[in-house]
Amino acid sequence: MTLTPQILRALEGIVGPAGLVVSREGLLTYECDMHTFYKGAPEAVALPVSTEQVAAIVRLCRREHVPIVPRGSGTGLIGGAMAPVGGVMVSTTRMNRILELDFPNRCATVQPGLINLWLSQATREHGYFFAPDPSSQMVSSIGGNASTNAGGPHCLKYGITVNHVLGLEVVTGAGELVRLGGKAHERPGYDLTGVMVGAEGTLGLVTAVTVRLTHVPEGVKTILASFSTIEDASEAVSAIIRAGIIPAALEMLDEVVIRAIEEGVGAGYPKGAGAVLLIELDGPAAEIEAQSAPIEATCRDHLALEIRVAQSEAERALLWKGRKEAAGVFGRLTPNWLLQDAVVPRSKLPQIMKELLAIAARHRLVIANVFHAGDGNLHPLICYDDRVPGELERAKQANEELLGACLRLGGSVTGEHGVGLDKSGSLSMQFAAADLNFMARLRRTFDPDSIMNPGKLLPSHPACGEGFRPAVRALPAGTWI
Amino acid sequence: MAVGAPALHEALGDIAGREHLLRDPAALADHAVDGLTPAAVIRPGSADEVSRVLGLCAAERLALVVRGSGTALALGNPPRRLDLVLDTSRLRTVRDYVPEDMVATVDAGVTLDALATHLAPHRQMLALDPPGGGSRSVGGVLATHASGSFRFRYGTGRDLLLGVRFVQADGTLTWGGAKVVKSVTGYDVPKLMVGSLGTLGVLVEATLRLHPVPPASRSWRLGFGSAAAARAFLAALLDSTLQPDRAALLDDGGLRRAGLAPDAVVLLIGVSSAPEAVESQGQALERLARAHQGRAEILADSAWRSLGAAAAGPVLLRVAAEPSRLLDWVTAAQSAAARLGVGVSVLAQPGHGVVQVSLWAASDPARIGPELIVPLRRAVEAEGGSLVVERAPTELKGSCEVWGSIDREILAITTRIKMEFDPDGLLAPGRFVGGL
Repeated sequence: MTLTPQILRALEGIVGPAGLVVSREGLLTYECDMHTFYKGAPEAVALPVSTEQVAAIVRLCRREHVPIVPRGSGTGLIGGAMAPVGGVMVSTTRMNRILELDFPNRCATVQPGLINLWLSQATREHGYFFAPDPSSQMVSSIGGNASTNAGGPHCLKYGITVNHVLGLEVVTGAGELVRLGGKAHERPGYDLTGVMVGAEGTLGLVTAVTVRLTHVPEGVKTILASFSTIEDASEAVSAIIRAGIIPAALEMLDEVVIRAIEEGVGAGYPKGAGAVLLIELDGPAAEIEAQSAPIEATCRDHLALEIRVAQSEAERALLWKGRKEAAGVFGRLTPNWLLQDAVVPRSKLPQIMKELLAIAARHRLVIANVFHAGDGNLHPLICYDDRVPGELERAKQANEELLGACLRLGGSVTGEHGVGLDKSGSLSMQFAAADLNFMARLRRTFDPDSIMNPGKLLPSHPACGEGFRPAVRALPAGTWI
Repeated sequence: MAVGAPALHEALGDIAGREHLLRDPAALADHAVDGLTPAAVIRPGSADEVSRVLGLCAAERLALVVRGSGTALALGNPPRRLDLVLDTSRLRTVRDYVPEDMVATVDAGVTLDALATHLAPHRQMLALDPPGGGSRSVGGVLATHASGSFRFRYGTGRDLLLGVRFVQADGTLTWGGAKVVKSVTGYDVPKLMVGSLGTLGVLVEATLRLHPVPPASRSWRLGFGSAAAARAFLAALLDSTLQPDRAALLDDGGLRRAGLAPDAVVLLIGVSSAPEAVESQGQALERLARAHQGRAEILADSAWRSLGAAAAGPVLLRVAAEPSRLLDWVTAAQSAAARLGVGVSVLAQPGHGVVQVSLWAASDPARIGPELIVPLRRAVEAEGGSLVVERAPTELKGSCEVWGSIDREILAITTRIKMEFDPDGLLAPGRFVGGL
């Protein structure tokens, strides 16, 4: 597929010369998201500044049968915001304004390119924040969060992005400009907002998002508990949940990760521990106090080596900095890795950890773990060195076996990263043909000409050709999971 | 084959068993939908039987309406046609429940009460308490997007449905979502199904997120002498660090219907947590109420179960608007009813901007549509809200739209979805928005 000079001129007419990237070097910036395994540069990148420009781009691309690939900040981990079959990439980075803060209705309307953390920064002095907190929140966009239905550590208590999206302004693949949902919390008709969130840009382009704002809780308490083994830590997680306590966040980090973090950002995690749980409680102060005692007791019952409560906001921030930037320090440990996002029922955590260790041993690989334990959402990083012959193959094999094990336990292929190009082939492990067919038909109702982010989300056989090829490195430094 | 053909009834009887195919006139009259009497009522006993019934309907072009407990069967336009009512009450097995996972997979016909009984020994709950009570079926509550006081903390079916099994119009058994609390595999099909009113498929199984029953809970009745005082209090409550788990607002009529002591406006607030946290939050709540001239009293927990009576009128309107405008719409509905001399009771969802307005005995019912519903709806829609007629006699539905106006582009997408999955219009034809 090649964009004709006429199409490029028309694009330039819509977004202006400053809003169009066509140079070879410029396009290289957009050839992959944070999953650099998959590469495919678009033929042009349009950077619209308004909904009208987005709508005009979609109309043009429909008329010319040109694929559209939406992109937020490009921090995805699934080969989503890259162009396997070329076409036009639409980047929302210049649409990054807060359109309205409405505290009486506890909501905000923002442009899709607004950085997640900026919204919380803009609302905190009024006592509010935006609850979805993917680890990438200081750079990822709210439009991207909505498109991938992003999670984050605190979604254990607060829910994932879809639970916080009240409305969307969207240009569908069929070229319609629609306002779905809004400040009112319900509306007659199908929940099209719910369908659009997590659709990974395959149904349309989001041009504005109305999100819930959450009141800042009265108190917060962050507890770090260390254990000699990841099995003990996993048993502690299951016991906490079993006791009917749902913390705000319940995160697991294993020995490999702790070491990397301490050598990197230095968060003050105990060196030498086999695993650490980062447990956060928030809410009314009396509730926090009432819940922290049984949590600490449960950790001790499961042979915790040390239980430490953050004594200051600075200490708390440092503990979280370690967690949120964990993946960024992985370069210290391994030249390459594969990252997974599978989910198991939370009671199966101890069991899957045993299987994971067995799989790692069988393939003579290190599998590092830093994940959302309270949800059962794993993020195993399968470490390998592509200079060692056969290691990539063993890593891939381990990845397949682990995914299979999670699904056998009743889990899911992806908990929060999404499908993209990376996992589109794995969906058939979780869904029957009829289920996938239903989704494919749903897609067609929004995107009748199949121009929106082709090849992503559902199993298909895009005319890939040389469009995407494995890169040398699997994940760059500065990745967030 | 005509719907009255004996061979057809034989085929239906073969699928579900003769005893589960109802054809006697009294039973059929009981299952009428907006005055349309079906030719038969079938009660399949399994998802597979539902699939075979729909396969037969597709082959014979039979139109069907799904019925759960029958509580919300008044919702929707009168069906364009009706051959068969599919009753899900025999689909009542709790399939899979691992307390440690706080997830349960249940058949669509399982009632809220039955599920609650199942979960109680493990001190867990499905946080859905819509008006109409525990006899409602899980499938019906989801298909109608019904919600109650627990919405305040836990949301609605939209937030609690993790996975769904349904039968498409052509009989294909289909699954969407996951059985774990977190999954983003493909489109969120469960969201599409919540509130779809049986127009895209027949729900047969739901995988639901559960919540622990907190160790202690207490409820308060906060009475206010005026809507203005209640409005100011509610704004302060929502802007505070208090974390109630349930909330409801009733007007004088609503309180009387629910058997509670009358007052101008009453907010019912429930707090659940550790005992000491309930205690301290309760004190803060009472202080906040007093600061807004409110009278705080402890309320028996059983009072929550009586609220449905406030929304049980022969005509029930559902206003959904910006949450901050809740009290304004309560007042607007009351004055509109007073102007027509219609009895009114209000049950509303604080924090969510949803007001259920029951209209009782009217001297001139014919005026309700054009003189109450239409102008009230116009005002609500002008502010981006909606007014749905949740329940009304069929003749009243004829005098005003059930769903109100739907944006043209949204209707276009909705139509494409409906046409894609039910091209022959067999699933509740005409019932949904835009007459789909």
